Amino acid sequence: MTASAEQRRLITEKAGPEKRSVFWVLLLCAAAAAALLLPVFPWIRICGADALYETMKLGASVVKKLQDSYSVFSFLSFVQISKQGVLGFWAFLLLLVAAAAAFLLLFSAAVFLRNGRATAGRPMLQTCAFLQKGLFLAFAAAAGTAGLCLYANRHYGITGFVPGFAVYGMLAASACGYLLSKRIEKRERKLCREHGFLEEFRRNWILFLFLVPCFVFFLINNYLPMTGIYFAFTQFNFRDHLFASPFVGFKNFEFLVRSEILHLTQNTILYNVVFIVVGNVLQILFAILISHVTRKRLRKLSQTMIFMPYFVSYVILRVLVFNMFEYEVGLVNNFVVSLGMERIDFYNSPSYWPWLITMFYLWKNIGYGMVVYLATITGISTEYYEAAQIDGANIYQQIRYITVPLLKPTFIILLLYALGGIMKGQFELFYQLVGNNGTLFNATDIFDTYVYRITTTQPLSMGMGTAAGLFQSLFGFIVIFVTNLCIKRRNPEYALF
Amino acid sequence: MKIRDRSTIPFHIIKGVLLTFLSIVCVLPFIVIVSGSLTDNLIILKEGFSLFPREVTLSAYRTIFRSPDGIIQAYKMNFYYTFMGTALGLLIITLTAYVISRKDFKYRNHVAFLIYFTTIFGGGLIPWYMMYANVLNLRGTTLAIWFPALMTPFLVILMRTFITGSVPDAVVESAKIDGAGHWIIFWRIVLPVLGPGLATVGLFQALGYWNDWYRSSMFSTSSETWSLQFYLYDMVNSTMAMRQMAQNVSLNTTDLPTQTVKLAMAVVATGPVLLFYPFVQRYFVSGITIGAVKG
Repeated sequence: MTASAEQRRLITEKAGPEKRSVFWVLLLCAAAAAALLLPVFPWIRICGADALYETMKLGASVVKKLQDSYSVFSFLSFVQISKQGVLGFWAFLLLLVAAAAAFLLLFSAAVFLRNGRATAGRPMLQTCAFLQKGLFLAFAAAAGTAGLCLYANRHYGITGFVPGFAVYGMLAASACGYLLSKRIEKRERKLCREHGFLEEFRRNWILFLFLVPCFVFFLINNYLPMTGIYFAFTQFNFRDHLFASPFVGFKNFEFLVRSEILHLTQNTILYNVVFIVVGNVLQILFAILISHVTRKRLRKLSQTMIFMPYFVSYVILRVLVFNMFEYEVGLVNNFVVSLGMERIDFYNSPSYWPWLITMFYLWKNIGYGMVVYLATITGISTEYYEAAQIDGANIYQQIRYITVPLLKPTFIILLLYALGGIMKGQFELFYQLVGNNGTLFNATDIFDTYVYRITTTQPLSMGMGTAAGLFQSLFGFIVIFVTNLCIKRRNPEYALF
Repeated sequence: MKIRDRSTIPFHIIKGVLLTFLSIVCVLPFIVIVSGSLTDNLIILKEGFSLFPREVTLSAYRTIFRSPDGIIQAYKMNFYYTFMGTALGLLIITLTAYVISRKDFKYRNHVAFLIYFTTIFGGGLIPWYMMYANVLNLRGTTLAIWFPALMTPFLVILMRTFITGSVPDAVVESAKIDGAGHWIIFWRIVLPVLGPGLATVGLFQALGYWNDWYRSSMFSTSSETWSLQFYLYDMVNSTMAMRQMAQNVSLNTTDLPTQTVKLAMAVVATGPVLLFYPFVQRYFVSGITIGAVKG
């Protein structure tokens, strides 16, 4: 892994003698940057308070609650108390960046300690990678704070906000630390025969070119909208519009917790667990069964038929379900009547819908999962089965001891992908089957349908809709992260990332 | 299995019964839709739906095509969205998948994780909607309908699995030794052998676009840009609403689209998918292998 001692000596001579002092200065800079992130230091000072508060039209009772200076973490409280929504979005982004910087600085310290306080070689490169990201973000937070002050002063037309000394300190410390760690990194890279980003870019620039559309797409479609979680902390109104609506802290979440969150979470998770468990069991079962069909045409035929529902759109499923379960002319009710029983009013009885939704989910998705498992089964070498037959294993034993264990990796991968979406419902399925039928909501409302309803019908509750979405996202993220970590510990082969 | 002893007979019986049952269950609803669309509306109102039509009539289809402007427009838009989305999407998915499949690319796992990360964390529906509607101002354009689904992380990872499976590393290595760059390797070596991968991913992509109603419901401002499924959705919904209104104020309901017309619309909307299905299903059925995010 590392170069031999002789090689190392030769390269070291080429790269110049190692300076211990460089490392100590770096450590000092990193420590200073981390310390300046502590919420006790003033990042934003308010000068000329009286004139400023007059421009903001604040009453005396509000002014009493305000402080002279704020750290990057507490500035949002100023925004909230003084009801200056215009500064909220920017302040929120700064808070996120500063928090990420603090996390990365702490994390790089942890990596440094875990690597036995190595100041050279690959361990040092690893430490440097995290340290640089942390310092970069810290620098960005400081620069952003200065920018926020400029912006606010221009917005109000007077000089009311001044960056505190911590901002200048941070700019110096993080820039200095970043450059020093780059210098150390460059040297260690040479020793370890590794190359950095620029060298990789020079070699494979065409691959980066290939990635441009991908980056543009995910930036627009996913990463930039992530900053929109800010709306979860605001109370939307039409006068101030999106980016200036008042910041209300965790009020939306409090309301959600009191009203909807419990049954939304419960519904979403329960449905998904049933979908995952029953779905996978049936998919494996039918994949195994179909792999034992010896006549090829029969096999193709049933495979084709079972996969067909996957191709139907959910709108058509809606038409279909309506025609089957409608009260007066529905197929099922016709059948029920012909058996001499009472008609069933499906569209007004919530208790049937969990079953119906699960049934139609399975109907649509068995074929797809079955094909995934079938691909794994066809990949299993026939030698295993032949050997088992010679040893006298019957067909059940072959399935139990050969097929099922070899399906395990596929199962785990599918399970992990499914767990990643455990808080995401099958929106189209639920929405098209249930629609806006309020009587069924208790049994069928999931996060996605709830948020969709808010988006399309109640723009004023947008903050709450975003809060619900954010909760859903965070919860799902934690579930998949922890699961993946556990699997990684036990068996890195199976881990998803 | 070739050797059949007596103990396997119950297994084969169970297998036959279960598979037959599932196959029938899967196909039955299609028969319901098609036969319903061929039945006379009065018979349905009198006797309800049945599995097979007692008398075949094409009146529902005639009703649809009496004033075909709306549906033809929706069909045109649907073909446009499907074509744009599939062609462009397939190209950038393949390019991305090629990059993250290259072992000599240092950041392949970083990129793969950045792509996968979007499936486990996101701003949610509202910020996503705001991005297109308020920040980029794309409401009412066709771009807003086809752009947001160009790539899905799942399809990128699926495509990478196809690339690693169908192009051995040794081939790429020897091409490199002969002086080929990534550009040449991608277009001349990888793409020509990627047929099944392109077919499978392209079909998933096309299916997603063909069946989409969601983005039309979010971003359309006029019925000109509606996709076919949303056109159908709107029709189904408005008839349900009108029927309820009619009960209250005793309107004449004979002009409303009837049950059979809705079913006929469903057949018309699914038509191309089911027509293509027999030809393309072998790509799906021949197997889909999904790998982990890390490569």
